[in-house]
Amino acid sequence: MEGNVILLLPVVCPILAGVLVLAGKVFRKDRKSLMAVLLAVLLLEAGLTAWALTSGGSIQVWRLTSQMNISFHVDEISRLFGALTAAVWLLVGIYSVAYMSHEEEEHRFFGYYLIVVGVLMGLNFSANLITMYVFFEMMTLTSLPLVLHERSRAAVMAGLKYLFYSVAGAFLALFGIFFLAGVAEDLTFAAGGILNDNMVAGKEGLLLASTFCMIVGFGAKAGMFPLHGWLPTAHPVAPACASAVLSGLITKAGVLAVIRVVYFIVGPDRLWGTWVQNGWILLALMTVFMGSMLAYKEPVLKKRLAYSTVSQVSYVMFGLSLLTPLGFVGALSHVVFHSVIKHTLFLAAGVIIVTTGWTRVEQMRGLGRVMPLTLGCYTIASLALIGIPPASGFVSKWYLASGALSSGTGIWSWVGPVVLLVSALLTAGYLLPLTIQGYFPGHDFKGEEIEKRKLAGKEPSLWMLGPVGILAAAALLFGCFPDSIVAMAQSIAAMVL
Amino acid sequence: MSFVQNFPFFSIILAMFSGIISSVLSGKKARNLTLMMIAVTTALSAGTLMFCLKTGESYTYMMGHFPAPWGNEIRAGVLEGVTAVLFGIVMFLSVTGGLDHTARDVEESKQNLFYIMIDLMLSSLLALIYTNDLFTAYVFVEINTIAGCGLIMIRQKGRNLSAAIRYMVMSQLGSGLFLIGLTLLYDVTGHLLMSPAKESVELLVATGRYRIPLLVIMAVISVGLAIKSGLYPFHYWIPDTYGYATPTGSAVLSGLVSKGYIFLLIKIFYRVLGYDNLVGTHMVNVLYLFGVCGMIMGSVHAISETDTRRMIAYSSVAQIGYIYMGIGLGTTAGMVASVFHIFAHSATKALLFISAVGLYEVSGDRKDFVSLRGAAFRNPLAGIGFSIGALSMVGFPMLSGFISKLLFATSALDSPEKMMPTLIVLAVSTLLNAVYFLRLVITLYSRRRPEDKPLPKQTTVRSSWALRLAIICFIGLNLVLGMSSQPIVQAITDGLAMFD
Repeated sequence: MEGNVILLLPVVCPILAGVLVLAGKVFRKDRKSLMAVLLAVLLLEAGLTAWALTSGGSIQVWRLTSQMNISFHVDEISRLFGALTAAVWLLVGIYSVAYMSHEEEEHRFFGYYLIVVGVLMGLNFSANLITMYVFFEMMTLTSLPLVLHERSRAAVMAGLKYLFYSVAGAFLALFGIFFLAGVAEDLTFAAGGILNDNMVAGKEGLLLASTFCMIVGFGAKAGMFPLHGWLPTAHPVAPACASAVLSGLITKAGVLAVIRVVYFIVGPDRLWGTWVQNGWILLALMTVFMGSMLAYKEPVLKKRLAYSTVSQVSYVMFGLSLLTPLGFVGALSHVVFHSVIKHTLFLAAGVIIVTTGWTRVEQMRGLGRVMPLTLGCYTIASLALIGIPPASGFVSKWYLASGALSSGTGIWSWVGPVVLLVSALLTAGYLLPLTIQGYFPGHDFKGEEIEKRKLAGKEPSLWMLGPVGILAAAALLFGCFPDSIVAMAQSIAAMVL
Repeated sequence: MSFVQNFPFFSIILAMFSGIISSVLSGKKARNLTLMMIAVTTALSAGTLMFCLKTGESYTYMMGHFPAPWGNEIRAGVLEGVTAVLFGIVMFLSVTGGLDHTARDVEESKQNLFYIMIDLMLSSLLALIYTNDLFTAYVFVEINTIAGCGLIMIRQKGRNLSAAIRYMVMSQLGSGLFLIGLTLLYDVTGHLLMSPAKESVELLVATGRYRIPLLVIMAVISVGLAIKSGLYPFHYWIPDTYGYATPTGSAVLSGLVSKGYIFLLIKIFYRVLGYDNLVGTHMVNVLYLFGVCGMIMGSVHAISETDTRRMIAYSSVAQIGYIYMGIGLGTTAGMVASVFHIFAHSATKALLFISAVGLYEVSGDRKDFVSLRGAAFRNPLAGIGFSIGALSMVGFPMLSGFISKLLFATSALDSPEKMMPTLIVLAVSTLLNAVYFLRLVITLYSRRRPEDKPLPKQTTVRSSWALRLAIICFIGLNLVLGMSSQPIVQAITDGLAMFD
């Protein structure tokens, strides 16, 4: 073990704490100590992550075989994803303290909740493809209990579906890793790719095929067509805080993996203009459109948001598939913005479900009378997701669209923006009805149910409203002051392209 | 000659004698004797291994005072040492893990017979590993078969008898073919010791004489041992045999016995027939084809099984397919991968069989999916053990199965015409593995439903310490194979180089 040991802390600490929470009998009965440990570890995690990200460097932990080792490092990508993960995980953690109080077996949920953040940090800090794959698989396994939490038949079936899609995707990617391990001596990430012409001479076709397998395989986690099927099933059955992180961060792990493969191992130049790029763009755009369409037709709110995730994460995929700096900047900033926005939306949906028990959008008429503030946060996030300036989604979509127009990818450079525009319209179509019906239920709305159940003005506690508000504010403010994130994305883009 | 060089011979004879002594002991004493014997032989094998690693070369050991080309010989090198140590460990843990089940399943008066079978089994396995002499190999192949039948039959339930008979018939078929191969080989070369036989074979190949007989010899020996190790399509005896034997019996039969035959086959390939000759005659392609079919078909059968023990048994068919596929690649890298998979699979499969016992115990000894629902909550350690075994089979990183898949895939890249089929079949078979193993793992961790039939009154509530210890050690073994595979792969590579 040589290198900067600080990098290990944000990975190991939460995992150990999670195991402790799972094993400790105290935490089964004593809710207060469970919550204290949870919040303390999450705060500690944020601090440790900040420490690790600023100290930088790398560390080699274990040699798996002669050419493979488990090692971590910090680069700009790790900083972006690491900071995002730690911050959002903390906020959702605070939210779930209140949210999970009506659920059973909280210690199990929170134990895995802590373990997953450690695993995600490992994924963010991975210095080579093998380490990333190890943590990718671990992420699938450890996030599974979050989906399974209810342990109802539906949850088990959804968990199985999640597992099979993830495993199928990961093994598709493993095929590519095997190939790459054969041609390259060392799979350590380096900006712009590690392959040279000698290594792939005579195997170009296979290289492209295995890259495509890896994009599709890791893309399964990002909900990209054709392996998107698990997402709308698995996200809604989980508790709202779990579906928020599944949608907002775990899908981004798929994006991270694709970035690492394409921009740090294979190299964008090798894909430029090939069938892989065209296929990737096609899949991404199909997913964007299909996800929005399905969300538009979906009556259950959480499921609608899950379909929206399918569509929105593929915006990111589309930006990455352009292989141009502008598209890359759009993709990275959309990672951050979508993560913040989707968390707001899912957490708001969770508040609605907990307080009123309503799950379908048409039940939520007159919601503005029940929880105007929550609905306000939801509305801000919706506007941001649609891409109305000055909210954050506008910035990323601007870069995505202008990146597509100037990309020189032939027909895609104008098909892309058209699809994005249509999808933005659909986004407005599936998100805003709740706002409109909520605030302006119309004259014929009497609100008997709200009166009967004394729901009027029943905002949630500050534990829940606080994180939702902070995230909604972030969704707005990132749009007003996008400079730092865009500058960071631009510096990464300059490195890899 | 160093004293350590006697160790292989000591370990074989020690195992044999403790079998003989066990016949007059009570069950309990026989058990203790056997456990002690396994520990000692493993230590002896470890000594041999250390010696070979230190000197960096193999040695042959003359039995009696008949010099070559007569007499019989033992040969020990790094590969033999590693295999013997690993087999010893797996044997010890399998016996430990099954202790209380053996006590329950086997009649009181026949307990010592069970341990005799274990002793004979170990002694024959060691002999198969160490032998440098084809006829000794044949004799111990037969001893192994008989011990194997005994292990299956000793449970004396209806299906066990038919399973044992089926095993007997198939095994005898395999032994018969093997014997025919040896006879033919003796006819054309005039030797039974491996080294002089190989010289003759090389001469025959160089001069081009006896081409057809040599081809027949290769085919008959390969098929004979393939039948005995359960290569698809000769696998029909596997599910019954592994499915109905005692837990120890299943773990030993699937984890070790079939691997012993494969090891012998590899040894014969390298030390008698010449691996290059097999590649030259395209014999390996046949094995490759069978292996690839086995990888897929074994998993397909496993998916349709509802009895989990038979499911695990069918998964062995698939894994044996992996091993033959690696042998069939016709490269040294492929062979290294196969040998590593022999180790990985014996550690993993024994873990699965043994931890499955822990799960059956808390489910009223039922083995179907529905009864096992939630079993991992009733016996957490066994649940963890089974999950780790299953994940290793599927090929999750940091576990032994991942390393063997990696070795298979990277070795496939060296042989251009077999690369694509190998990679595709690996991918498909991995997915199929995932389908049935992960389904079972999820079942273990899901909640019992109200409509499920109630479990019968539970026979054991807590597993014995022996079982727990075995599970923990098996998990450790798996992690060691998965996380620090480098020295083992290196030893295999060196050992294979010493074979020539």
